[in-house]
Amino acid sequence: MLNISGVEKQFGSNKVLKGIDLNIKKGDVVVLLGPSGSGKTTLLRTINFFERADKGQLIFNNEAIDMSKASGKEIYNVRQKTAFVFQNYGLFHHKTALENVIEGLIIGRKVPRNQAIKEAKEALDTLGLSDKYNHYPVSLSGGQQQRVAIARAFVLKPEIILFDEPTSSLDPELVGEVLTAMKLLADKGTTMLVVTHEISFAKEVATKAIFMDKGVILEEGIPNEMLTHPKVERTKQFLKRVIPEEFIYNI
Amino acid sequence: MALDIEFLIRTFFVAASGVPIALLVTIIALLISIPISFLLALTQINEIFIFKQVSRVYVSFVRGTPIIVQIFIIYNSIPLMLKKTFNQLGYEFNIESIHPVWYAIIIFTFNTTAILIEVFRSSLQTIDQTQSEAGYSVGLTKYEVYRRIIIPQILVSALPNLSTATINLIKATSLGYAISLHEITLKAKVAANLGYNYLEAYIDVFLVYLIVCSLVEYGYKRLEIILTRHKQKEGVHIA
Repeated sequence: MLNISGVEKQFGSNKVLKGIDLNIKKGDVVVLLGPSGSGKTTLLRTINFFERADKGQLIFNNEAIDMSKASGKEIYNVRQKTAFVFQNYGLFHHKTALENVIEGLIIGRKVPRNQAIKEAKEALDTLGLSDKYNHYPVSLSGGQQQRVAIARAFVLKPEIILFDEPTSSLDPELVGEVLTAMKLLADKGTTMLVVTHEISFAKEVATKAIFMDKGVILEEGIPNEMLTHPKVERTKQFLKRVIPEEFIYNI
Repeated sequence: MALDIEFLIRTFFVAASGVPIALLVTIIALLISIPISFLLALTQINEIFIFKQVSRVYVSFVRGTPIIVQIFIIYNSIPLMLKKTFNQLGYEFNIESIHPVWYAIIIFTFNTTAILIEVFRSSLQTIDQTQSEAGYSVGLTKYEVYRRIIIPQILVSALPNLSTATINLIKATSLGYAISLHEITLKAKVAANLGYNYLEAYIDVFLVYLIVCSLVEYGYKRLEIILTRHKQKEGVHIA
């Protein structure tokens, strides 16, 4: 469904992505692991054109786009088929939870207002936010805000949801509820590409794990195998460093 | 020396009769300069080269000179330019017939635009990038992101500065007396000319501005409370 190849990106003299290939099938939950500065987030952002790749091709449902030269129209079309969940939630501060969720439906997808409200409420209910419709982001906890953001992405019925470290700015206590929400989406067959440090999520939910370092993919495979028996030395080092510190959430 | 209380009261209403013209100039200047200064502030943020340089120079010119000097320059140069243009085109046009309110509107729009560029520029910088990215990510166009996400938030954060700018503008219209604009100050001065009751007249002027500015400030405060519901901790929208 989504295939990217040869993605390169440079910030000044710093080469962040050095030719990344990635193939995601419908229903896949792919986790991107790797140390800080490995280029995971940048890769995710080039897919949605928040960063413009210097080189690379993106094939979305058999439609090929040159990532360095994509036109405004092509970018708009990709964004119509994807959704993004941000590290710092990115809820519209001046809108209530419900207004945040219907915004993309009504304005972006041109869904009639009544239907949009109905769908938005369903999504919020599913994620346990049925009593928060009219709350502004400031009166919600981090975990609740991120769940609203997930509802906002999910309700658009995108072909894929891109998650950029969705639990990294949360209090440890609130991480569980967000991971549970993501698992719920995965169970509904949502295709997801997730940049995360949550090894437990990778193990239990993901269908594929990818390990990146210094702008290249070093290893990819079935999460359980890769996380327990990594083949590459660098992956081993990384996992050894991460896992003992990692909270293992029950999701 | 005793204050002429009767004159004081009578002249208060004379001065107050200048309020509509002062407010007219203020409102028109704001209505014109808000959109222009917002667009120019955007060019500064988005680094659109020529506009950015031009608006920078413009801002420093206006901020670096007293309004009274700007008033004199515009008041003296515009008629000359108009006269020349009309003469060349072969029209007869009496420059003296232009009502001073037009000059006042031009001058204060010119001045307020420069001040509001800075106001909007600083509030644009307070909006974090994720707000617009989130807008794009749910399928909004650039125009929709600005109209629905950025501008509503900027107006709120600019409101305190906008309030100050409005009050400064109302007070600055008192300089309109220099171009014989019949606003608050000039009306009171004229009334005082008769019997040399300048102190009483100026007290009236003082009171009128104080009342008008306090009301405007109160209005902005109310507006701010309404528009910042989403910033209050117990922020629940009551539909």
